[in-house]
Amino acid sequence: MLKVEGIDVHYGIIPAVRQLSLRVEEGQVVALVGANGAGKTTTLKTIAGVLQPKKGRVIYNGEDVTELASDKRVRMGITLIPEGRQIFSGLSVKENLLLGAYYRKDRDEIKKDVNWIHGLFSVLIERQSQIAGTLSGGEQQMLALGRGLMSRPKLLLLDEPSLGLAPMITKDVYQAIQKINETGITILLVEQNINIAMKVADYAYVMETGSLKLQGKPEDVMRSEEIRKAYLGD
Amino acid sequence: MFTAGYISQQALNGVVLGSMYALLALGMTVIYGILRLINFAHGALITLGAFCFYLCLTLLGLPFIAAIGLVMGFGALMGLVLNAAAYKKIRGGPEVSLLITSLGFYIFIENLMKLIASPQPYAFRPPVFLSQLNKVGTVTFRTIDIFIILFSLAIMALFTAFVKKTKLGIAMRATAESIETARLVGINVDRVIAIAFILGSAIASITGFMWGAKYGQISYDMGFMAGVKAFVAIVVGGVGSIPGAMLGGFILGMVEILSIGFLPPGFAAYRDGIVFAILILVLLLRPSGIMGRKEEVHV
Repeated sequence: MLKVEGIDVHYGIIPAVRQLSLRVEEGQVVALVGANGAGKTTTLKTIAGVLQPKKGRVIYNGEDVTELASDKRVRMGITLIPEGRQIFSGLSVKENLLLGAYYRKDRDEIKKDVNWIHGLFSVLIERQSQIAGTLSGGEQQMLALGRGLMSRPKLLLLDEPSLGLAPMITKDVYQAIQKINETGITILLVEQNINIAMKVADYAYVMETGSLKLQGKPEDVMRSEEIRKAYLGD
Repeated sequence: MFTAGYISQQALNGVVLGSMYALLALGMTVIYGILRLINFAHGALITLGAFCFYLCLTLLGLPFIAAIGLVMGFGALMGLVLNAAAYKKIRGGPEVSLLITSLGFYIFIENLMKLIASPQPYAFRPPVFLSQLNKVGTVTFRTIDIFIILFSLAIMALFTAFVKKTKLGIAMRATAESIETARLVGINVDRVIAIAFILGSAIASITGFMWGAKYGQISYDMGFMAGVKAFVAIVVGGVGSIPGAMLGGFILGMVEILSIGFLPPGFAAYRDGIVFAILILVLLLRPSGIMGRKEEVHV
């Protein structure tokens, strides 16, 4: 479904990602893990079209989308849920959700999707007319997920959905992520919290200082020498 | 010496001037909210709108309604051209280049109008029915005063409904919060910005007509001070807040008129100074303005 071919991404003159290639197959949950500053978010932003690679290509369903602006990619089914719950904090919960469906014209289907998201995150129902900035961290993350789903994505890019959340809330969010995947939506997940990411992933990539270090099935990756050293302190 | 009639007379003048500031501030704050640009070119639209009306009504003899429509259409077109020709290319660069571009555009238009029209002010006569004198109790006013107030309120109500209720309006507020996130939900940000310029510029050009009709003359440089004061209104009301901009406009208009009307005669010449003193006070005491939210800085 998604192929990233040898991308180089720079911030000004500083290279953030070098020679990175990865694949995501339809229906999978793929995890992209690594330490802070490894280039995970940069990779995700490049796939979403927020950043442009200096070299390499992004292929989505056989089409080269490397040059396409991010709002065009949303229309094709690639939706990024950015790190730090970047909801529109001055807008109401309802307005945030409706903006997720900005490009869509099918009113009845939009209503159905709102109901589906309310089923997934029931807390959003009672908060509908509340200003989004006043929600708790967990609620904001749920709203960000809900807003992303309103675009009917085929490929959902999740950037650190557990960031800054209490363990209980993280569990809820990850349960929702699994439910979302069960509806057939492919997920590429960036996480620093490697344990939780590996539980849901079908395949994993490990990044270190801008390039790929390791890839494989989650259980294999977790057994590898490097991961044990870096994360588990053996 | 200040009779009730005098006071209400001045208050009415204050509301009329305030309505015009509010309209200007409305368009400016929407553009500032999205691009962080103090759009000095907004002032040019006031001048252009006033002269466009003069051309349509006085020189070509078109009907009033047609002239109003043409002025708004012309303003909208100029906003679109300004955005496409000047701002679009340098967006994303330093904010100061946008500011300088807008100042440059203003200076260009001012000098162009000086060349085409002449450095002398023109007498501006609104249609006869607007110049009619009316008297209610002790207050005397012309129909144009009521026209300005009602027309302004109508535009403000429509605009508020637009940003609150329509999908495009909500998208405009979202774009003002974050251009990047707006793109990520599929909003065509270029289009939203173009529409903000179209609406703001159409409103500014119609304000040009009001200005001319109220004060009886138009000139090549009439837009500058009006534009700067609209910006002061935004700061007073709270940067980025649409209701704040309108409130700031009314406050400013009222303060300006009252300072002419009630201070000793020698002080009337300080009206602009008083307005800027208010700006400095607001910046010192309440930098986020009356209705503004403190801006969060995302790291």
